[in-house]
Amino acid sequence: MAKQYRSIGEEVWKNKVEKVNAELFIFTYGSLVVQLIKDYEDYHSVNKQLDKLGYNIGVRLIDDILSRTNLEKCKDMRETAEVISKIGFRMFLNIAPSVSAWSADSKEFSLILDDNPLNDFCELPPRAVQGGLWYSNVLCGVVRGALEMVGLLVKVEFVRDVVRGDEVSEIRVRLEKVLDEEVPVGDD
Amino acid sequence: MAIHSVFIINKAGGLIYNRDYSTNIAKLSSNEALILAGTFHGIHALASRISPVSRSEGGKDTGIQTIDTANFRIHCYQTATGIKFIAVTDPSYMQLSDVLARMYGLYSDYALKNPFHNLEMPVRSELFDTKLQQLIQSS
Amino acid sequence: MSPTFYFAIVGTNDSPLYEAEFGVRRDENKHLNQFIAHAALDLVDDAQFMSNSCYLKTVDRYNEWNVSAYVTPSNVRLMLLHENKAEDSIKGFFTDCHELYLKTLLNPFYEPNAPIQAQAFDTKVQALARKYLL
Repeated sequence: MAKQYRSIGEEVWKNKVEKVNAELFIFTYGSLVVQLIKDYEDYHSVNKQLDKLGYNIGVRLIDDILSRTNLEKCKDMRETAEVISKIGFRMFLNIAPSVSAWSADSKEFSLILDDNPLNDFCELPPRAVQGGLWYSNVLCGVVRGALEMVGLLVKVEFVRDVVRGDEVSEIRVRLEKVLDEEVPVGDD
Repeated sequence: MAIHSVFIINKAGGLIYNRDYSTNIAKLSSNEALILAGTFHGIHALASRISPVSRSEGGKDTGIQTIDTANFRIHCYQTATGIKFIAVTDPSYMQLSDVLARMYGLYSDYALKNPFHNLEMPVRSELFDTKLQQLIQSS
Repeated sequence: MSPTFYFAIVGTNDSPLYEAEFGVRRDENKHLNQFIAHAALDLVDDAQFMSNSCYLKTVDRYNEWNVSAYVTPSNVRLMLLHENKAEDSIKGFFTDCHELYLKTLLNPFYEPNAPIQAQAFDTKVQALARKYLL
């Protein structure tokens, strides 16, 4: 199954998406974060804003993924995690984070980003590290927004990041609730 | 032309787009179109619940895919995000899901990628109108 | 006697962005170094119009010191005080330092013309000094 997702992801990346210059993208994101820091002067608020931005992106991107791939509905969270990594991240960032550290109830997992393009060129000043900035927090919002649109309410957060001096970058995803969106209003 | 009209319904059952592509079809007032969308949304949801197979498997059915009458056929394609793409065609059109899937592609490209487009709100985009028109004419 | 070097990066508004000394440190020169480098800035301004390249070679002399300069297209000046002459290796050092400076600029958290405080930058410059100069 995982192999099939990998080839779908690569196919889409190669043939179906428009590419932009990576530096343009990275600088745009970098200056956005720095401007948010200047405007909010508080790293936790910046994290929150990045998450919101990501959410707004995610709720739109999910349809982009689905309309280009013709995916079946995922049976469980493990399948969902594979799709996020092999298709979602591949399609937009050309990376495929490894999925690991499943919780016993299979509702919680980690995405390990071996290479995060947003981090290129970035060196966090010490006060940003102390202040608790998660530089790539936008990604959490994207995952949260995208999954919400397919009826999965999740909690997504960074737990480790190489720009903060950690060994790897790790995003933790936890399934909180599955929405059943098909019940017509007033039916119950 | 064999595709008479197109409706797009958001996940709450609201009509977010409709266009007629032939003069043969009876004109619906905007109120009637809204009611049609809401009603279809409702029976689609119910239909997915009465499936005999889904109970045993614990999953859900896909809901209504086509409705046939003597003179026309309604095709429905529902995305995983709950948007329904509906087309009214001649009965000779057996399969329309690939066209509807391409419609989904246009929707994600020209409606969703416009930062000023609000999710769940009616699609107002000339580019989308034109692209959809081209798609309908070519199919 | 092993050679001594003093290296400085000067921003567009003549403020120092980075300073380093390589080789044997001689404390008596400490303030003098800054002074010599600063005094040579005017000569750099003159010399840059006489040359097409970024590397301006030796622009000034003060006692036993030679002052070499390198001007980036954005008018950031790299200054090196040295005693012995070795144009090729100094040019190599400057070019690589220029590249390091550019990489620093790419960091969204670095403000142009602000002092460069990153430890990584210092380490890399020291490594370049060992490679080319010492």
